[in-house]
Amino acid sequence: MAAVKTPAGTLLFAPLTAPFQRRYQRWLRRRLPPARVITLEQRRLFIFPTRAGFFFMLALLVMLLAAINYQNNMAYGLTFWLAMLFVVAVHFTHGNLLRLTVVAVSARSAFPGQRAEFRLQLRGTQRRGHCGVRLLWPESEAFVDVPPGADVTVNLFLPVTSRGWFVPPRLTIASVYPLGLLRCWSYAQLDMRALVWPKPLTPPSAVITDASSSGAGDANQSGNDDFLGFRDYREGDSLRRVDWRGWAREQPLQTRVLASPQSTHHWLDWAHFPQGDTEQRLSWLCWLALHYDAQGQVYGLRLPTVTIEQGTGPRHLEAVLTALALYGVSDRPRGAL
Amino acid sequence: MPQQAMPPLAMTWLMASLVMVMLPHVPRMPLWILLVYALAALWRLQMLRARLPMPAVAIRLLCGLGGALLVWLRFGTLIGLEPMVAVLLVATGLKLLEAVRLRDGYVLVCLGLFLAITQFLFSQSLPLVLWIMLSSVLLVTALILLNQTPGTRLSYRQPLLALRMLALAVPMMVALFLLFPRIDPLWSLPSRIGQGSTGMSDVLSPGSVSRLARSADVAFRAQFVDEVPSPSERYWRGMVLNRFEGGAWRRTDMRQLPPNEQTVFSPDRLSAAIRYRVIMEPSQQRWLYGLPYAQSNSPGVVASPDNHLLLQEPITGQFAYDVETWLGVRVDQALSPWRRDYEQQLPPGLNPRTRAWVAANGATTPRQFIDRVLAYFRTEPFYYTLEPPPIADEDFVDRFVFDTRRGFCEHYAYAFVVMMRMAGIPARVVGGYLGGEYNPVNNTLIVRQFDAHAWAEVWLAGEGWRRVDPTAAVAPERVSLGLEAALADDPGFLASSPLSAYRFKGIGLINWLRLRYDAVAWRWQAFVVGFDSDRQIRVLQSWFGELRPGWFVMVLFGSALLVLLPLTWWMHRVRRAPSPLATERRFAVIAEQLAQRGMARGPAEPPLRFLKRVRHYLEKNDPLLLELEQAVAALYQTPAQFNSGSVELKVQHSR
Repeated sequence: MAAVKTPAGTLLFAPLTAPFQRRYQRWLRRRLPPARVITLEQRRLFIFPTRAGFFFMLALLVMLLAAINYQNNMAYGLTFWLAMLFVVAVHFTHGNLLRLTVVAVSARSAFPGQRAEFRLQLRGTQRRGHCGVRLLWPESEAFVDVPPGADVTVNLFLPVTSRGWFVPPRLTIASVYPLGLLRCWSYAQLDMRALVWPKPLTPPSAVITDASSSGAGDANQSGNDDFLGFRDYREGDSLRRVDWRGWAREQPLQTRVLASPQSTHHWLDWAHFPQGDTEQRLSWLCWLALHYDAQGQVYGLRLPTVTIEQGTGPRHLEAVLTALALYGVSDRPRGAL
Repeated sequence: MPQQAMPPLAMTWLMASLVMVMLPHVPRMPLWILLVYALAALWRLQMLRARLPMPAVAIRLLCGLGGALLVWLRFGTLIGLEPMVAVLLVATGLKLLEAVRLRDGYVLVCLGLFLAITQFLFSQSLPLVLWIMLSSVLLVTALILLNQTPGTRLSYRQPLLALRMLALAVPMMVALFLLFPRIDPLWSLPSRIGQGSTGMSDVLSPGSVSRLARSADVAFRAQFVDEVPSPSERYWRGMVLNRFEGGAWRRTDMRQLPPNEQTVFSPDRLSAAIRYRVIMEPSQQRWLYGLPYAQSNSPGVVASPDNHLLLQEPITGQFAYDVETWLGVRVDQALSPWRRDYEQQLPPGLNPRTRAWVAANGATTPRQFIDRVLAYFRTEPFYYTLEPPPIADEDFVDRFVFDTRRGFCEHYAYAFVVMMRMAGIPARVVGGYLGGEYNPVNNTLIVRQFDAHAWAEVWLAGEGWRRVDPTAAVAPERVSLGLEAALADDPGFLASSPLSAYRFKGIGLINWLRLRYDAVAWRWQAFVVGFDSDRQIRVLQSWFGELRPGWFVMVLFGSALLVLLPLTWWMHRVRRAPSPLATERRFAVIAEQLAQRGMARGPAEPPLRFLKRVRHYLEKNDPLLLELEQAVAALYQTPAQFNSGSVELKVQHSR
């Protein structure tokens, strides 16, 4: 469920307002369904004066009183002109956000405690562009202009806490442009999610030796020094082993082949950790996966539900981490969406 | 919303536009107030460059209190338009010093708009209105600059947007202006103080009229329905001065008249009416001017028992009234004994030489005696001049008639009426204007301060009050050609109006422009500034027939809709959203570009897989990769979740 910030003062009345809040949230969800590409149409936009707007209206009232009391036609004229400017500003502020398109481009994975990167794209569908657009998430915001006919990519970072899928809360898209007297805004429940890996935790030292396969004792050897030769780059090779110097000489991309001792083949096995609970076990396995990957060793994963064959390289690591992250997590956990 | 800082660009722009708004106040305000603003602005600019800190709260408070105190010392009060404006100016300057947050920007803009309103309380002339309109565009531009994203540069776009928004607001403003009910003041507000009255004064002493000849300011304009009367008929009667006291002619307060003398006598009309509309410039006096004998039904205008027009309140702004005049009339054919006695009173003992001359030149009829006096003025060496030798003598008439013989119209009128009363003829001084420049553009007479004039009225049995202008005996061209012709070489003429456009009327083009402009100014005064509830009702009745309150509301909303609907349509014109086909094409174009870089898409390779494959060969921030991601995201309406390949990077961040 999307988190909605409530001012502290309303907590007192929370029991009273809660049903209404729930109903309001339900109504918002119905009115603004989640989607990958959201164009801010008329019915999605809300508009209301800002504090500066109310201050401006107060100033207009004082000016009107001056006009009445001094019977001054030019004072009337200026007051009416500015009042009608306010009306025109309603249109301009509304028109500034109208048909702005927000595209959920991508979400990057992260470990708990980190911030996951969400990439959004703002696309102007009007000739005049959109100015001073503010994208607001509770802990992240951006303030950008979308020039006419251009796309703007915005990266927002949201802190993630627990393993599994992280669905960002409802995004607020707001703008007070051009006069700052009115605020036009919309909510967008973007259909995007980031995968949160397990938190890497150092396993009990005994387990490391237990967990490693036969030939323990070689675990700390790097093996990187035993250079055998080059072969053509293949997808999934570690970037650290790419021969960048050769590539810089405009030779084809090649990978250094290193002599890996047999003893560095490992299995990350769920069954090796009988003592911890599920999250702990996953955290330990995660740590081990990162550990082996850093040392360039070959490892595989055995979970009760899934087995990943032994391998190496970033894509392998990603597959392992993903399997760990999704262990016991349904693909569509937030059915509410 | 977190506290946001004010963009420096908006700050400097605001400072400049505030200067624009307050500029017309400069002549009215003590100089130090402008220095306060200039200092505050300079300090604020140094703050922008981080060379000076913001002054402490205590210092700002002290400055504020000190400013108010100085204003109080200067004006002697804080209640009144000028001191209030002065305080507002000081407050604006000090607010500038502490304006660092975004919301301070809004406060400054509102202060600027207040200042704009205060300008109109002093003048509503066309140039000022244009100036304030320009300032408003600048202030609205400042509002736009406050809301730009950081780093936005100043361009023609921001003022243009402000101009466009304000232009779109004009039609609805006009509708509101026409339809908003002009209600009476809710309470009284302080008015202007220390404002000297201008124009003819109601105390006629030597020099009181000639000082006006130094100014080319407009006293009033009169637009005639039909033909404009000939120059010798352009006697604008203002006030009747029939009480001699303290060496000067003064008017008689209406309340001091006996009750049966307070009725207004309606003269016999012998000719057709001349109709015209007069717009007075603010004179801070109650006198209205009209050709003799004038009647007016305009609201607020009263007729006095002496058959001239006046207001109950001094004129503080332009005042318009309609007048009907009959040049041929008989006024007061019968004079009451009290009146006859009152109009002959003179303090005894003064001017013995004149008294002797009057006794020696006695005539059988008043008419004969008048002719004798006028002939004396004409034949003896009397001169018409702006700068006569000063006479500081109780027996002013003696010294003037027999010694100096140099004077302006007030000298001749003064002496003439004294001589008439000595001879037992009821006589009085009349103050007003004589002449007026004819503007053919709008059939208007423009009467300026230098047209101020004083003449005499004499009561003749069977004829009533008759106008006699003793100046005409000395300088007949004053009446027929105007003051300019009579005093062409006098250095005092227009001495205080060195740059008046009137001085350049000899140059054809300038004169043409000047008269055109004056016609525009007339229209402005008559139809916009003078738009009151009467005129409002008349205008609306002429458009909609009988007025009902519901009409106001309907017309108001109707005109708002008339503007808002096209505006809404214009802003909400549907621009075609990218079709699915366009999305496909977009993806295809990017794939083609990638293929040229050696990353061809496999036959029937799903876009997402293509993206995942290509990603490993491209830099993270490669624009083509970003575009591909977006294109794929647009193709798939599924959750956007692509795991990145840069796991190493993440690991370094984790503990």
